[in-house]
Amino acid sequence: MMSLENEVLLFITIVIPIFLAAFIMYIVRALKGPTIPDIVLAVDCLSYDLAAFLALLSIYFRSPILIPCAIVLALWIYALDVYVSKYLMKKEMGE
Amino acid sequence: MDPVTNWVLVILGEILVSIGVFFDVVAAIGMLRFPNFFVRLHAATIGAIGGAFVPLMGVALIAAGCDFLGKYRWFIAGAAAVTGVLVLMLAPVGSHLLAKAAHESRAAVVEPKVVDFLEEDKAKEGGEQ
Repeated sequence: MMSLENEVLLFITIVIPIFLAAFIMYIVRALKGPTIPDIVLAVDCLSYDLAAFLALLSIYFRSPILIPCAIVLALWIYALDVYVSKYLMKKEMGE
Repeated sequence: MDPVTNWVLVILGEILVSIGVFFDVVAAIGMLRFPNFFVRLHAATIGAIGGAFVPLMGVALIAAGCDFLGKYRWFIAGAAAVTGVLVLMLAPVGSHLLAKAAHESRAAVVEPKVVDFLEEDKAKEGGEQ
């Protein structure tokens, strides 16, 4: 029976390329997206999954530095949604 | 914690992460193939909740289970759970805001349109004012 550590690291090395494949598809939609909300939606989803990816990497690299970055990323993406929708509706950003 | 609970936690976490990755790939394919913005919203929220919240909870379980992390173990577990709860709260509100703004500002047009009740309601409401 493999040790716990090797099993976890092997699992993460299997999962990482699948995550990257999903990221590439989101990037393609972000570049191709005809309208502004499409682009924002693709970036929105890409970054939430990036936050999950960062959390997964923090186990792989045994360093907790990545996790606060994931939290801030999730908050920034919400701010992006709020600003873009506010701009689309009222043509001003509320400064 | 004794090794048995470590293994149980890690296996549960890995099941959650693999479910999350499956949702993530399905949402990414959906984002590419769906016709217009409003249908893509469905794929995006699957990607946001199924693709981000579920793996984050899986990572929280894995981090709680694997003892080779030493003193960072509970830090990563707790922070991943907090990020998961944050994503759970923020993603639906963000995409709802975006949908309302896109529909109201007509930035995203409804191409394969069968019926658009919101537009009809607005026209009716506009007529009454």
